[in-house]
Amino acid sequence: MPNPAVTALAGTDTAAGDSAAIACVLTGLETIILGKPDQIRLCLACLLARGHLLIEDVPGVGKTTLAHALAHVLGLAWQRVQFTSDLLPADIVGVSIFDRASQQFHFRRGPIFTQLLLADEVNRASPRTQSALLEAMEERQVSADGTTYPLPEPFFVAATQNPHEQLGTFALPESQLDRFLMRVTLGYPDAVHERELLRGGERRELLPGMTPALDATAVLRMQRAVRGVYVADALLDYCQALIARTRERADLKLGLSPRAGQGLIRAAQAWAYLAGRSAVLPEDVQAVLPAVVTHRLERRDAAAGDGAGVATEIIRAVPVPV
Amino acid sequence: MRGLAWCCAAFTGGVLLHVDRVPLWASAAALALVAWRLLTGRSSGRGAPLAARAALALLLVAAVLTRFHTLNGLAAGTALLVPMAALKLLETRTPRDQLVMVGAGLFLLVAACLDRQGLVRAPLYLLQAWLCCAALAVITARGLAARTALTLAGRALVLAAPLALILFVFFPRLAGAFWAIPHGEEALTGLSDSMSPGGITHLTSSYDTAFRARFALVPPPPEERYWRGPVLHDFDGYTWRRGGGFAQWRQPLEAAGKTYRYSIALEPSRHRWWFALDTPTQSPDAKVQLTYDYELLAAEPVNQPVNYEALSNTHMRAAWPLSAAERREDMQLHPGRNPRTLELAQSLRQQAGSEAALVRAALEFLRTGGFVYSLDPQPTGSDSVDDLLFSTRAGFCGHYASAFVTLMRGAGLPARVVTGYLGGEWNPIGGYFIVRQSDAHAWAEVWLEGRGWTRVDPTAVVAPERLRRGILDLFPGAMSSPQRLLHGSAWLTRLLQSWDATNNWWNGHVVKFTLDSQLDLLSRLGVRSPDVRYLGWAFAAGVLGWLALIAWHSGRDLKAPRRDPLAGAYMRLCRKLARIAPARASHQGPMSFANTVSERRPDLKERVDAIFARYTQLRFGPPAPATRTRDIQEFRRAVARLSVRSP
Repeated sequence: MPNPAVTALAGTDTAAGDSAAIACVLTGLETIILGKPDQIRLCLACLLARGHLLIEDVPGVGKTTLAHALAHVLGLAWQRVQFTSDLLPADIVGVSIFDRASQQFHFRRGPIFTQLLLADEVNRASPRTQSALLEAMEERQVSADGTTYPLPEPFFVAATQNPHEQLGTFALPESQLDRFLMRVTLGYPDAVHERELLRGGERRELLPGMTPALDATAVLRMQRAVRGVYVADALLDYCQALIARTRERADLKLGLSPRAGQGLIRAAQAWAYLAGRSAVLPEDVQAVLPAVVTHRLERRDAAAGDGAGVATEIIRAVPVPV
Repeated sequence: MRGLAWCCAAFTGGVLLHVDRVPLWASAAALALVAWRLLTGRSSGRGAPLAARAALALLLVAAVLTRFHTLNGLAAGTALLVPMAALKLLETRTPRDQLVMVGAGLFLLVAACLDRQGLVRAPLYLLQAWLCCAALAVITARGLAARTALTLAGRALVLAAPLALILFVFFPRLAGAFWAIPHGEEALTGLSDSMSPGGITHLTSSYDTAFRARFALVPPPPEERYWRGPVLHDFDGYTWRRGGGFAQWRQPLEAAGKTYRYSIALEPSRHRWWFALDTPTQSPDAKVQLTYDYELLAAEPVNQPVNYEALSNTHMRAAWPLSAAERREDMQLHPGRNPRTLELAQSLRQQAGSEAALVRAALEFLRTGGFVYSLDPQPTGSDSVDDLLFSTRAGFCGHYASAFVTLMRGAGLPARVVTGYLGGEWNPIGGYFIVRQSDAHAWAEVWLEGRGWTRVDPTAVVAPERLRRGILDLFPGAMSSPQRLLHGSAWLTRLLQSWDATNNWWNGHVVKFTLDSQLDLLSRLGVRSPDVRYLGWAFAAGVLGWLALIAWHSGRDLKAPRRDPLAGAYMRLCRKLARIAPARASHQGPMSFANTVSERRPDLKERVDAIFARYTQLRFGPPAPATRTRDIQEFRRAVARLSVRSP
């Protein structure tokens, strides 16, 4: 992982307090989610890059706990929606109710009006509800009865889904998957950390005892700082070469979209910011690439596996600029 | 649609290369089809019905057959290919069809190369090759910008140039191969085997080159620069002809003047004469016969430029008396024609004491008779010599040669007309004489006992200037206005001479590069006894060398896409560090490589980190244009200073 000694590109505009706060956030999260420092870092990078996160894994590995912990440690207001097949768009977005006293319709805001929305098991809702959520995610606003209501800032959706549960689910189509900046898979913990989990009991119970390391203003400030991380022409060349590579490969159904390319660069900026650098290096791109691209790439031959191996192959195939 | 436009352009280029050779209807049909296809564009994808296309194709075959009576050969083949390939446009739908059209364009280019190899056409051929390659690029890679396609094609051609050179120099040029296609039989201007009054005059307006002559040592003086061509014996009172052409015994001659060795580059004339300085002493080639009247007569007409070495002596003496047959041939006069001339001849004969005196008297008659040298004299009747000597008194070299020979024969002296060229323009750049059709000339030869055939040029008496100056100098009016312009300006003349010298070099060294030239080159390269096998080896070696060059070139392309001092220094750093750590993989970024190195050599960690920090700042950091050059210099020095030896 990042070499702290390579300090040439050390951020000048990252306030010292912010970098301390980031270290604090990461430590806090690591005490809740054991043995997954990379995934935690990716989740944070995704948030700072103003993207949305899809956590995909089997039940019981801590998806919900991770989202919960993220909200708590960052000090954001948060809501949780458990998606089911009978959930309606209005249950998320909100509904207009006639107020007898004023003889007017009043818009009652749904759970989406929050800073961090945890959309649990998003693939169990009907496509109609899914698309209402994803539209709001993309536009960061909600329209009802001809009025537009902006969502709060920052706004971050962490959705979870269980890929193995097939019955009564509606898998997200590619176009919807493309709206998630990253997809993170947690996986089972290793032996040491699993032992600790078994001994320690429910990790979520630790949360109330922790003080938030950040607040909404700090998060917004960091998001702006991420946008200021420098991206050199050589690095843009590199990203373009990576994207072009996905379009050349005959075994993929589709290459990466320009939106995916933009997302890749934003994610890399956030990753560099987390490492305390003021410019993006090829290593930053390589670090975020699997999380950014695997859910957008699908092999023609499903038997050859999903996009997971593809990211590594692409990284190995494209020379870094010298 | 863009692919269609490009393939039409490539094909049109091919058609234009032949536009002055194929029948007009063929190129017109082709160009009309191209225009029609371009105008109808995508909509006519379906094209004309099959029956119509087939009928059109049969019609074209019939038209070519009517015109050429064959489908074989270069001229007929090209005339067939031009409209037939255009017909293909009617069913050009897919990129594959467009590639076929470009193929037709390239095929037309090859045909043009077989047809004409002049230097002036070389750039056209190159342009067509470039156009075709660019069209191939556009059709193969859709959406390629025109400029990119042209650059790509240009680069491909440049890379192919060494191969072309190897093929040109070393590919064995076996005689009688398929590319030796016989040429058409269209007429060219030049001397012919007959001469009527005014017959040579039409040549004087032609600026075409007859041949070029380069002397090994000193060239002969201007009054000796007679280039011998057809010798005319038979006279019907109006037209001179070569005569029976029966084989006769050739007189051995004794050299009485200076011998000249020279080489001639003869242009195609469609006639069998090879020209030589008067008088040639031996045949320059086995296929060329030195006749009894000292013509060089080849077995085949000259249809291609030909180079040869010749040997001549300007003054010869006959050792033997004239044979009876020759005497009979060169004494004959058409009875009843030119009676006044014969009368004059008789009186001159009676006055003169000797043969030499007779010749002098006849020349004196021409000198003092008020004769004028003119390019367009009044036409003469069937008694052409009488008309010239007693009424018009104006004529050209042919007239005077004819009159003089008639006078001599009338006075009982064997005489004949020799045609050829006189003089030539010295080209100081190429170091040779260029003899043009406008230098065509006719003179007389008389048999003098004890001396043999002696050259007498009556024109020299009438217009002494002609010996020293070309026709165009004497008669500026004979030139067309562009020629006059060229002739008038010194630097234009010089330019023209340079062009001619280049052209001559091209014809001698490129067009006429034969198997002999190849073997000669091999022996100069040090091969003891060169033969075709060595050529094959040299060819194979050349092609392998070229492939190696291409491989090296593309390999270099892959390795270093940019020639950038920073990249160069970084690559040097990586090479240096590869001595103490696994080499950097192409996908490995600077930070991760620095970590790999530091793991191997913790003692170097600080220095390695510092140097990589410098690099990442320069490559990926925000630009600092003011100090960039200096920073890169410092980085290079730091790389040079870094020592990786073990402590």
